[in-house]
Amino acid sequence: MTMISLSDVVLLAHAGFGVTGCLAAAWVVAEALNARPENAGRIRGVALLVALTMAAAWICGGYWYVHFYPEEKTLILAGPWPFAHNVFMEVKEHLFFITGVLALLLPIAARENLSANAGARRLVICVAGLIVITGLAVEGAGAVIDHGVKVALLHGVSTGER
Amino acid sequence: METKLRSETTGFALAAAVTVLFNTGLAWAKDAYAPLQDFMKSVGGHHWTTHGLADLVVFVGLGLIFTRVQAVEKMDAERVIRILTGSVAVAALGLVVWFVVH
Repeated sequence: MTMISLSDVVLLAHAGFGVTGCLAAAWVVAEALNARPENAGRIRGVALLVALTMAAAWICGGYWYVHFYPEEKTLILAGPWPFAHNVFMEVKEHLFFITGVLALLLPIAARENLSANAGARRLVICVAGLIVITGLAVEGAGAVIDHGVKVALLHGVSTGER
Repeated sequence: METKLRSETTGFALAAAVTVLFNTGLAWAKDAYAPLQDFMKSVGGHHWTTHGLADLVVFVGLGLIFTRVQAVEKMDAERVIRILTGSVAVAALGLVVWFVVH
């Protein structure tokens, strides 16, 4: 029987919004490299999309982390991959704030006249590029954390509540 | 070709640079000093929630302040880029090294 819990929905929404934000940031890099008056509106729109999707990833991830992660943390720490929490989750939960702040900065920087301002264009490319790099690192850490739970369950670890 | 940034862009870019360093410093502090983590938990219900809100307050607050500072307004775009990328690199590396070693 198929059973999708609120925890699953919130977690997948978090990852989905994060990936969408990374892809949108890569889109901003491509558009800014070819900045013209004709694509100025599109760059601003996609930069805003980056901020909105990363904000949604922040809210969904935060809700899941606070309400559902403690049980998975117990499993990870009792399993063969404790570093999935001690290193990867600890880094991810704080590195994400860097991605989030950069995502909020991007629409502000994208309001510059990028086709006429080389400095502003380089700044937008730099901010969007950093969002892609840190965002993908956060996504990768999420995969390791998820695998930490999986290997714990495969080794018969239990929280005693399942 | 124009290279000067609007004061809002420079102000908020520098605020982002300070915020990411603040973020890493706060992560170190609450990990090393349990009473701080307990205090943050009492403020927002969870230390992570309070941490995120503190980052937002620093980013928005400093952004609004820096936007009105004349010295910041005159800053060259390349310098802003160097400060921001350097801060992000140091802050990210600081998190990785801390949690690997600690």
